[in-house]
Amino acid sequence: MAQANDEQLLSNMFDVGVERLKLIGNHAKVLMQGYLSGGIDASALSEQALKKLINARIIYQPDDSHELKLRHPVVQLVAAMVTDESRRQVNADIADKLQSIRGFVQGFREAQRSGDVIRADNQLQRTEEAVYDLTSQFEEAIFSLWHRLNSNFGFVSNLSDKIRENSRAQEQIRRLIEGLSLIDFDELIELAEGNPALRKLLVTKLQTQINGHHGSLLEVQKRLVELMTRFREQQERSLLVTNMAGFLREHPGFTVGDYAYRSQVPSLVNVAAAIKPAAAVALDRRDQHADIAHIVHGLYKELAIKAKTDDADSNTQAVDNSAQQQAVEARQQQLKHDAMQYFMAACDSKTPLSALDYLHQQTLEWPPEAWLFQVIGEYNSLPRNEQKLFSIERSEHPVSRYNQVIVIEDIALRFTP
Amino acid sequence: MISPVYGPLIEKLLAGEFICAISDEANFAKLQDDETRDSIDAYLKPLNRRLAANDEGSVYFLAYRDLDDGAREHLKQQLGVVMGSMLPLLEWLTYVQEAMGSDGILTAGDTLKLQELTVKTEDNPSLRQRLQSLANDRFFNSQSDAVDGQAKQVAKRLVEHGYLLQPHANRLYFTVTGKIDYLLELVRFVKDEENIPLEDTSSQAELL
Repeated sequence: MAQANDEQLLSNMFDVGVERLKLIGNHAKVLMQGYLSGGIDASALSEQALKKLINARIIYQPDDSHELKLRHPVVQLVAAMVTDESRRQVNADIADKLQSIRGFVQGFREAQRSGDVIRADNQLQRTEEAVYDLTSQFEEAIFSLWHRLNSNFGFVSNLSDKIRENSRAQEQIRRLIEGLSLIDFDELIELAEGNPALRKLLVTKLQTQINGHHGSLLEVQKRLVELMTRFREQQERSLLVTNMAGFLREHPGFTVGDYAYRSQVPSLVNVAAAIKPAAAVALDRRDQHADIAHIVHGLYKELAIKAKTDDADSNTQAVDNSAQQQAVEARQQQLKHDAMQYFMAACDSKTPLSALDYLHQQTLEWPPEAWLFQVIGEYNSLPRNEQKLFSIERSEHPVSRYNQVIVIEDIALRFTP
Repeated sequence: MISPVYGPLIEKLLAGEFICAISDEANFAKLQDDETRDSIDAYLKPLNRRLAANDEGSVYFLAYRDLDDGAREHLKQQLGVVMGSMLPLLEWLTYVQEAMGSDGILTAGDTLKLQELTVKTEDNPSLRQRLQSLANDRFFNSQSDAVDGQAKQVAKRLVEHGYLLQPHANRLYFTVTGKIDYLLELVRFVKDEENIPLEDTSSQAELL
């Protein structure tokens, strides 16, 4: 009969639980908004939904204000899920947990004595859950502490808040360690006496876990103290700099004492003047002459390279342009020179000297057209009396019958003194 | 007889440089050795110099061995210069702390990205004004009206004075050297020595 009742109760609880968890899911966005902003906007929910949420003890309406708030366990649930360290609480309520473990074990023993196997099983399961609850509470707390430490308390913005959070965390560790010391293994051994399942649960497993937690807590504590020292140093430096700057700003004429003329000059003030270890080239050592000559030589080379690269660096474009210009000029000069040479050759020659023949003979690189043009140009630029000394013959032909354009094919120059 | 490998180190020290783990790691490591320090000291004796360090031992520099009148006069003048530059340096430190939103004052080994600092300053009129007045200070002596130019000039001066190190000449990021530790120790010393009442100000209460 009692069993049937129990089952009925359980199935009821199951249904209600599922329904209410669903409720959280259905209004996840509104609830999360409420978590972040601290209050829930009642207009975002229908009246029916509001009622359900309040009945499910998910939200509540403090006093008669219109704002709705998330209930504490829900806030804690969210904080744990999103590892929001500024909201997460570390619960160190160990004594209560131990008390319930004792209670369950007692119930288990009684059930065993009266031969109620199902109730005994049930009580054993409860004990297991209570033990798990106890250790997971430490696990959760330690995880949260490490998370705070590793994020360098980044969830608060300024240094003094970080220092506050750090000391809070240290306080929590102290309480957790105190809580751990409440677990008396002698008592637990006695409690588990004669039952292998209980023994395993309460002694072997729990002891290993608690030892592990104890070690972790001490490590976190050590690291927190280190971090705190660093925070304090930072704070001291910040204060020193800020306050001294403020002081100097307010006292523009501030001068320090005559530290330099004290009998004991403060060591920080004693900073010696710089000495320049100068050296110059010296020629009084014959054996070094070769080396010095080598250096001087190298220096000239370096200077030459530097001058070149400086030139190149200064304006690459301009240099390119002028280089091109120079090249063109040089070619023009060469062409002029070759043309003059041709005139000289004509002077030496008895017969008229063909310009194109000369070009081929001398294997000059000029295009024939440019060459002829230059020769004619040279001839025209001669003074009149000199022009008279040369007779110039053009071999030419008209391009077509229809116009007057005549192409000069070659020129023959004859010296006629 | 001192080993020639210390030549460059001694030259740096003589030139008035502060040697720390950030500005010159290799030489700083050499200076950790007692024997090395003793032999450098012995070497410097005829120059009336000795090796000195700050209280923390994080920076080495040269001090006078005997304080004759010349040395004292130099120290007096130098102290005047240092005190003159103290306020702009401290103001710069608080300005950087605020601009970067960091927990503490810059310490040796911290990296400073000038670009980031400039961007943050440009977005904030109060920071812009602080940089402006800093840059106009005689110590930093910037002629620029633009945030960018002012920040660069300030950084340049800090490099010249050995507080910052620029690992790459064409990249605008800087490393804070151990000389900042020296500066803060000096500030602390002056505060204690002159009994400057900094502790009971309201800002202390605010911060705690």
